[in-house]
Amino acid sequence: MGDDRITPVDLPEPRYEYGGDDHVFVELAEAMSFTANFKAMAITQQVAEREIDGVVENCPANASYMLRIDPDVAHPDTIIEELREIEAALDVENYEWETRVIDVPVLFEDPWTHETLMEFRDRHQDPDGTDLEYSAELNGFDSVEAFIDAFVAAPHMVTMVGFVPGLPWCFQMVPRERQLEVPKYVEPRTDTPSRAIGFGGAFSVIYPVQGAGGYQLYGRTPIEVLDVDQRLPDFEDSIVYPNPGDILNYRRIDREEYDEIREEVEAGSYEYTDEPVTFSTEEFFDAPDEYNQRLVEVIA
Amino acid sequence: MGEQVKSPMPGIFYRQSDPDEPPFVEEGDSVDAGDTIGLVEVMKNFHEITTENGGTVGEFHVENEAEVEADQTLLDIE
Amino acid sequence: MIRITDGGIASTVQDLGRFGNYHIGMPPSGAMDEYAHTVANYLVGNDEDAATIEMTYQGVTATFDEDAVVAITGADMSPTHNGDPIDTWTTVAVEAGDELELSFATEGARAYLAVAGGIDVPEVMGSRSTYTLVGIGGQDGRTLEDGDELAIGERTEDRRDLVGETVGDEYVPEYATEDTVRVILGLTDYRLTEESKADLCEAEWTVSPEADRVGYRLDGPDIEFEERDQPFGAGTDPSNVVDLGYPVGSIQVPQKPIVLMQDAVTGGGYATVGTVISVDRGRLAQRQTHKSVYFEPVEIDDALTARQERHDRLSEIRKEVELED
Repeated sequence: MGDDRITPVDLPEPRYEYGGDDHVFVELAEAMSFTANFKAMAITQQVAEREIDGVVENCPANASYMLRIDPDVAHPDTIIEELREIEAALDVENYEWETRVIDVPVLFEDPWTHETLMEFRDRHQDPDGTDLEYSAELNGFDSVEAFIDAFVAAPHMVTMVGFVPGLPWCFQMVPRERQLEVPKYVEPRTDTPSRAIGFGGAFSVIYPVQGAGGYQLYGRTPIEVLDVDQRLPDFEDSIVYPNPGDILNYRRIDREEYDEIREEVEAGSYEYTDEPVTFSTEEFFDAPDEYNQRLVEVIA
Repeated sequence: MGEQVKSPMPGIFYRQSDPDEPPFVEEGDSVDAGDTIGLVEVMKNFHEITTENGGTVGEFHVENEAEVEADQTLLDIE
Repeated sequence: MIRITDGGIASTVQDLGRFGNYHIGMPPSGAMDEYAHTVANYLVGNDEDAATIEMTYQGVTATFDEDAVVAITGADMSPTHNGDPIDTWTTVAVEAGDELELSFATEGARAYLAVAGGIDVPEVMGSRSTYTLVGIGGQDGRTLEDGDELAIGERTEDRRDLVGETVGDEYVPEYATEDTVRVILGLTDYRLTEESKADLCEAEWTVSPEADRVGYRLDGPDIEFEERDQPFGAGTDPSNVVDLGYPVGSIQVPQKPIVLMQDAVTGGGYATVGTVISVDRGRLAQRQTHKSVYFEPVEIDDALTARQERHDRLSEIRKEVELED
């Protein structure tokens, strides 16, 4: 499995769409792929770097991106023209950006998400199992343990942040044939614990706050992705911790470690384990397993 | 003389505070001025509907969980 | 200081919104009807970005413990000043000890109370707008309640000269009849069947009771999707697309359409089929539950022209208010 490489996908021509008079939405592909997401990252990074007049919001998404613009400053067509220029000059298979590798401790099969998922069994495809049992079986694993092994075996890239403040959508950094895939609940739950680790489609998420949700529930992290009061030192500059392009390394922990970290988080003293790295799309596509190893070593 | 209790706003009319609770009032109950006779929900906010005068609860013009308009008569107080 | 003695149903402090954080999931918030909010500010001599109180369906009751100059615009909630009816879209003087009381909306859904100097709550991430989902901005990040005390911002000059100012009838919207909102179709509307695309623009939609600052859910004909093999990562339901950003004003179709408003969810996996143009979002925000709404497709140039006309109208109003005495 160490010999795998990821073949970049041929993307269609981007579709430039007006979102009313004050947004531009650009669909890079209908299907998720690293190529599409890296392109969204690269273009939005270039937009930020160029400080284009009239751009109010600059939002990469999984296989698309969106800008909010001030049409009193720049006509949407002027901005689209510049986006086309950026796109034409871009070599997404050989692109780098400065990002972070982040340690995300996770207590899998924790009591809180377990209680929630049991409560909503009637909304699930498999009323007799747990979400992990269902996901393991669907993806051809003999056991929940083996499924969790695969889930933590390679880091997950934050390909988009949104829906609500701080919610990261993450895509595991493995070749397509090793991507895990699970449908969402048949009918969404009305409740999910905060900091729950969920999985739906091909994306893992961390729920910032308690609320409704439809992703399969696997565990809970003791660390926050949203800190509105900015009590924790890592939230000094923003109430949200994860950013698009970050690399999350989910790490299996036991209850004892969960409680220790949680205590520090609640005391406002916990400091996140993260290190800056330069992410290279070329090196990643060439030898993802080896490259991932090197990436996560920086926080070992 | 009597009173027609109206909904001041559009929304969904509820005769009970919770599906498991009994209705606030039934036909024939006697009520005092200011008693709650139901709730109207709009935008996930519940607004209490109260009587202006006391009397006996007459006919309900709308059913539980019906959609109501602003100024629509909900029930009579006799 | 303004003391709230009845907060109404869902009243919040709002300015023009908070920008620069959509990419981390933070919607702009801000006044749902930017036009009414802006006119209220102009009537009391404020800039358009001063914070006002936005009231929904039922207004607040408030007492003032200092003299103030106020104006109420937007939905008609039959306001009274010490028990006497007062005009909306008009500048009014209140004295220390006076009470303003607003009732239920007879026309429109949202009213704006502006006060000379603006509502002075602390700015959070560059805005005073309330965003209740995470509890930031406004009064402790929540809707107003009985007992809240709101400071009035510093006034650079006495604006009692504006008392009695009013805007011409031609500048006052008729909320009861304005049922058409213009949209630019597109985004991922390729997911709809031709019939559903036609329905979107021809059918009568009605505002459901689930219509709030996050989104307006509309009732109407069933939406049908083009059949396809769902692309990788999109999810299994035909309404699902690979998660993408939602423009403010965009119409998403989990099944029944939802028009995303100022406290929008910023992205997700439902197909989006078009966007209500900026000047018509306020018109939708004034449609009451159960009222009808029609979507009228327009091109980008029409939307930009409408935006320019809105700017022109507002500068006319500002000029009129400031020039007369």
